[in-house]
Amino acid sequence: MIPSFDYKIPRTLEEACDLLWTFGEKARIIAGGTDLVIGLRNGHVRPQCLVDITRLEELRRIEESDGMIFVGAGVTHSEIVSSPLVARHGRLLAEAACRIGSPQIRNLGTLGGNIVNASPAADTLPPLMVLDAVGKVISKEGERKVPLCQLFNRSYETSLKSYEILTQVTFPKLPSSTRSSLLRLARREAMAIARMSVAVILRLEKGLIEDIRISVGSVTPTPGRMSDAEAALKGKLPNDEGIQVAARKVSETMIRQSGIRRSTAYKKPVVEALVIRAIRKAIEE
Amino acid sequence: MERKIKFILNGMGVEVSVPPRWTLLRLLREKLGLTGTKEGCGIGECGACTVLLDGVPVHSCLLLAPKVEGREVQTIEGLGSRGSLHPLQQSFIDHGAVQCGFCTPGILMSSKALLGKNPHPTRDEVKEAISGHLCRCTGYHQIIKAIEALAK
Repeated sequence: MIPSFDYKIPRTLEEACDLLWTFGEKARIIAGGTDLVIGLRNGHVRPQCLVDITRLEELRRIEESDGMIFVGAGVTHSEIVSSPLVARHGRLLAEAACRIGSPQIRNLGTLGGNIVNASPAADTLPPLMVLDAVGKVISKEGERKVPLCQLFNRSYETSLKSYEILTQVTFPKLPSSTRSSLLRLARREAMAIARMSVAVILRLEKGLIEDIRISVGSVTPTPGRMSDAEAALKGKLPNDEGIQVAARKVSETMIRQSGIRRSTAYKKPVVEALVIRAIRKAIEE
Repeated sequence: MERKIKFILNGMGVEVSVPPRWTLLRLLREKLGLTGTKEGCGIGECGACTVLLDGVPVHSCLLLAPKVEGREVQTIEGLGSRGSLHPLQQSFIDHGAVQCGFCTPGILMSSKALLGKNPHPTRDEVKEAISGHLCRCTGYHQIIKAIEALAK
């Protein structure tokens, strides 16, 4: 049974920050609740107070301005999937969001929740990494911006303080010549946590790879970019040999960060194959 | 400590008092006696607890009761009535899409939401709409046909 707690629904961001400041470690933010309620049920989370941020207008918007896209942390995955702005300028994020859980989960779960829950298998993280997304964090102490790649301490833990709220995620609009791809492996097509996912964004100039960004989900404790693999391909011809070298750099990075585990015998060849497929798919776009 | 919650349930205004830790599922079944919505897993993986919140399907087992304050909830009890079945309910019967019936209320709610948003879904769209539901009896085929029969 879920233990007792107080439930607050602040009407303004300021009210939310005040509540979190007052309650400190004893409060938890709740958005959609699709992860948190499970944590409450199994006793992993025992707050004295829940602060529901889903009625805060500022967290619910998707906007564009000055070449940047702004997605509120309280936007649901369903809203991301149906947003024309995200479809146009951050397509990988929508592609990832539409594979999360089920329609019911996507109608409740939020972008902010997926990020802050910080699962190594979180679907929105590889796209956010290749989009170079930056988070806006607000608290009674003020406002700060954090590149999302710097937000994670370890699996399931961000560097956010208990009184801070991630309110918004921002990324630059990509030039129209950008090619991208997202591949996701899971036991089923729906309602299955990603076993592995690869997000690739690249640009070709005169037949050479001018820019390439690679992020792989479910293979490292925290999300990030595969910079060794990226460096191996930048400025090069996108031929089979080069792509295979990059794929091997990805598996090397995976092993360096995660160590050799039971799953490595499976994940090493599979991540290499998936990276090769994802890069080829992006090139052929 | 209990919390007063006011919301619209199957078209009617309702006010109840429950502890905030109660899920909507528990509120519906234990406080309001609406046992049509089922608990299959309690962790948002089977879809048996699906209701419509402001018209969209959600797992009521993951929804803490205070969240429905001021919002609209539709349950299976609000879909048709004994003497006058909703076309979806009739179609499910006609196509043999109900065996034990445990998953049925949830799937009907998701189907209702689908057809309300998209009156002519493709087979793939139907499958996606019910992808958050597990059925151990039918093998899904009859369920898909029952929904497709109304997708004209």
